[in-house]
Amino acid sequence: MFGLIDGNSFYVACERAFDPRLVGKPVIVLSNNDGCAIARSDEAKALGVKMGEVWHLSKRKPDFRSVIAKSSNYALYGDMSRRMFEVLTEEFSRVEPYSIDEMFVDLTAFARTDYCRRVRARVRREVKIPTCVGIGPTKTLAKLANKRAKREKSLGGVCDLSDETARHEAFRAMPISEVWGVGGASQTKLNALGVFTVEEFAAMPSSAVRKLMTVVGQRTHAELNGEPCMEMTLAPSEKQTVSVTRMFGRPVETWNDMREALAAHSARAAEKVRKHGLVATGVQVFIHTHPHSGEPWYHGQRAFGIEPTSNSFAIIRQVMAAGRAIWRPGLRYAKAGVILLDLKEVQDLPRDLLPTIDPVRSERLMSALDGLNARFGRGTVRPGGIRQITTWSTRASNVSPRYTTRISDLMEVRAD
Amino acid sequence: MFFFRSHGRMKAAYRGDETTGFQSPAQDHIEGVPDLAAFLDLRRPQRFAVRVKGDGLRQRGIHSGDILVVNTDGEPASGKVCVAFLHGDVVLAVLTEKDGVWWLEPSSQMPQPVSDDVEVWAMIAALVRTEV
Repeated sequence: MFGLIDGNSFYVACERAFDPRLVGKPVIVLSNNDGCAIARSDEAKALGVKMGEVWHLSKRKPDFRSVIAKSSNYALYGDMSRRMFEVLTEEFSRVEPYSIDEMFVDLTAFARTDYCRRVRARVRREVKIPTCVGIGPTKTLAKLANKRAKREKSLGGVCDLSDETARHEAFRAMPISEVWGVGGASQTKLNALGVFTVEEFAAMPSSAVRKLMTVVGQRTHAELNGEPCMEMTLAPSEKQTVSVTRMFGRPVETWNDMREALAAHSARAAEKVRKHGLVATGVQVFIHTHPHSGEPWYHGQRAFGIEPTSNSFAIIRQVMAAGRAIWRPGLRYAKAGVILLDLKEVQDLPRDLLPTIDPVRSERLMSALDGLNARFGRGTVRPGGIRQITTWSTRASNVSPRYTTRISDLMEVRAD
Repeated sequence: MFFFRSHGRMKAAYRGDETTGFQSPAQDHIEGVPDLAAFLDLRRPQRFAVRVKGDGLRQRGIHSGDILVVNTDGEPASGKVCVAFLHGDVVLAVLTEKDGVWWLEPSSQMPQPVSDDVEVWAMIAALVRTEV
């Protein structure tokens, strides 16, 4: 049996864990660059703040005057996610961190509703995160149960759809949009056939579902009918690419700023590749202007193979050359990205006769760089040409302290 | 491996092991400095570090500027110091039990019974002071 434990308005909960002034207030968390609402407290939802609401356009609405908008603080959310995961490992034999705020767990025959309520209370008290739990014989059903637990407060935060009769009762009232993996296009097709509820969808013949929604839809359909098609995954899948792309805090107009942004993105991407013990064999670079601002639209892009490496300097050099080639002056750029492609394990590579990068020296230097950045905070040691504070860096005007990861940012406790 | 900055260049630090002339008899016994994060068990998911502001609990040996290591799963007990959310403030308070009712005694405010709008956030476990 699967359980899905999901943090309620997870980012908001992380902010509230250290700031009691946010409790009971309408709070939202904004995406990178303070763009749009990506997490909303119940109070903010009640005021009508929508998911993805573009905040600089909406914040002046009279209804939204009381909303507290926080910039995203991923260092904090990541650490709180780790804490949630670790507490769950004390309760369940297997825990799969599916996303930053959703964890699948293996439930035994004894660990059902009451047990999950206790775990929920524990996560709330020890990690300060309110959660809901969905229980089902498949991941899709656990996910569906979780949605129901979130919506129907009377369930006390836990919804169990392991019983087939209970399941069919619940299916009747659920629109197909509630089902994990059924997107807008599939919904349109299903609605055209007169299929609107989960009950109607589950009752379709499997072959018809396959014809309409391919094998992926067929899998979802089988899972809804209690037939597991997805197992617990305990290690993330092998990475094929690593991408670092950012909207700029304000438009970038000079090559110097763009150069710095691309160098920083390259360094960060290379660091990620090294963390997985891989090397990149290709690079893609892109820069573009704002698509909806009415200004001239330009999108420049290059993708090419490189000598296999994870060395920041080697990658920066390649990215710079490509960036220079796609750079057009006189434009206001809104976004740039660096994507490292075709990642490989070092031992899988054919031996190069004349490598231009000394692998031993490169490895030593890069591990020194990563070690210092891990010990003293990201950006402590940077390849030349990347300044700490830059004009291009992401906007974050109301970011909370990194309460759990920086000594300088600890929560203050008053004793006066 | 540790590195430090010297004359603008990165260098590997000498750890007591690799010598240039006589071989160091310590080379198989290098241990490094004690790891305070491990000693204080800071990686435990229920452990948080917080910073004290104010000298109201000096009589309990807690000074302004101290770092307290707290447990969110710590067992509450009468007379213990805790971190509490009190009417929108994060405060340090002494927990006491009188006739089956739990009270919070912050240094500067009246004692308050523990209720729904008063949250005991964590119990104090350890203290770190860098200036003595």
